[in-house]
Amino acid sequence: MGIPKGTEMVQINFAQKQINAKIVYYGPGMSGKTTNLEVVHQRAPAPNRGDLTSISTDGDRTLFFDYMPLDLGTVAGMRTCFQMYTVPGQVYYNSTRKLVLQGCDGVIFVADSQESMREQNIESLKNLEENLAEYGKNLADMPLIIQYNKRDMPGAVSVETLEADLNQYGAPSFEAVANTGQGVFPTLKALAAVVLKNLSQESSAAGASSAPAANVAPAQAAAPQAPAEQSAQFAPPAAGQPAAANPPAAVPKPAAASAEGDAVAVPLMETGFTPREGAVPQAGGAAPAAPGSAVQPQFQARPDMGVAASTAVAPAPARTPRTKKVAGKPASARPAKGRQKAVATEPVKKQGNTVYTVAFILLAAAVGAVLAKTILSFL
Amino acid sequence: MSHDQQLRADRLVFYEKEIEELNSELDAFLELSKAKTAMLIDREGHLVTRRGESIKSSLDSVSALIAGSFAATREMARLMGEDEFAVLHHQGVSNSIQIQAVGPRTLMGVIFDGRTNLGLVRFYAQECNRRVKEILQQVEVESEGRGSGLDENFSASAEAALDKLF
Repeated sequence: MGIPKGTEMVQINFAQKQINAKIVYYGPGMSGKTTNLEVVHQRAPAPNRGDLTSISTDGDRTLFFDYMPLDLGTVAGMRTCFQMYTVPGQVYYNSTRKLVLQGCDGVIFVADSQESMREQNIESLKNLEENLAEYGKNLADMPLIIQYNKRDMPGAVSVETLEADLNQYGAPSFEAVANTGQGVFPTLKALAAVVLKNLSQESSAAGASSAPAANVAPAQAAAPQAPAEQSAQFAPPAAGQPAAANPPAAVPKPAAASAEGDAVAVPLMETGFTPREGAVPQAGGAAPAAPGSAVQPQFQARPDMGVAASTAVAPAPARTPRTKKVAGKPASARPAKGRQKAVATEPVKKQGNTVYTVAFILLAAAVGAVLAKTILSFL
Repeated sequence: MSHDQQLRADRLVFYEKEIEELNSELDAFLELSKAKTAMLIDREGHLVTRRGESIKSSLDSVSALIAGSFAATREMARLMGEDEFAVLHHQGVSNSIQIQAVGPRTLMGVIFDGRTNLGLVRFYAQECNRRVKEILQQVEVESEGRGSGLDENFSASAEAALDKLF
């Protein structure tokens, strides 16, 4: 089936409070795309930049892409990250170039200002349009910045000519000498601004048309969902329930972290994989006993401990109901098969009991009758 | 569909609830398969979530490279008349990685070493894949109705952050 057309997206991850946007440097071979990225890598503050990864040939031509994440820091509570890629410029590498374009949120077109490169600039821009079209995208709608690089070259074409050649969309353009670093950051900043503006514009547009709940700030957005999650969706696979049940989504990381540490064993047994038939009963048997005592206290210890400390009598009786509760939980949370079994066996048991009692009464009556008869016969 | 609507439909917004569900699936998978690390990456190379041991080098770079590697082999597959190679496996001396497509938009990368073997990883990954796919479908359905949910002053603070950085 492959990828549906136009599957580009800014990824917004509320769990990690992170926004990822993809920026691509495009342009003809040797126009300075990788140099741009290298300059950003050298000059961006260390905490903000990630590693620069290059997949290049021996001749130092980009083969697949160069990649570098750039962390913008926390913007309105969301860690905002630009994933920056360059494409291989050489005509030969179009298939890999196209791959890098997939899902990009903004393009910086790096043009080479030399006279000899005019044709190749135009060709590369055309190629960009074609490749975007394959993803169902239109360059006119895409955040685009044009950079006229190598302005220091002796035979540099005038900016007017380049604008006429390349800038049919009226995109903002910058002059640059990438290997000295000149113009690199203004270009990037301009694109970043457009991409982020696009993002927030969309969000406000979306907020107007969609359910209000979706528009709440991250931390709050998660909170109202938590109850629904527990009642509706989480009901059958009560997976990390012990973890999810204590102050859940509101504090994202800590909750997740504690879930990781302790609840791992539980989801395994409860939601868990059921590929092996034999594993189910085994897990069912183990669940009430082991995790019941191991997991639950971890979570409840603190609130309970406070009570226990103050009353001093509490601990012993408090413990039994607690374990009971845990033992009960897996039973109801176990996969349908297990539950059916439990439901099915109980009535049978009850029926059996009544049968026994009826039989017993009849038997007793019979014995009584026999005894009475023998006694009467003696008299 | 307008450009705006298109963009909205294309975007995936993950909330904590979904990430928690995904995480518990990955945890279960790791426990059973004894693999080191499991991560979900969207096909653009952005990390969705990671479970298990941390990765020494940059997680972002690894994600980008996994997505790139998958994309490249998909082109190879197309040349051979396949839609894609749904599972890739790169074997190293001590560490290996398996990459698997999960639905149309996401990849699952599993890093494992000598404590387990490829067969075990593949077997459990198959099961995990199915479950994760269901959750992701849910995300996709729910994403359509959602805005990006960003704060209203996002734009302004973004500009401030840009000014600070450059």
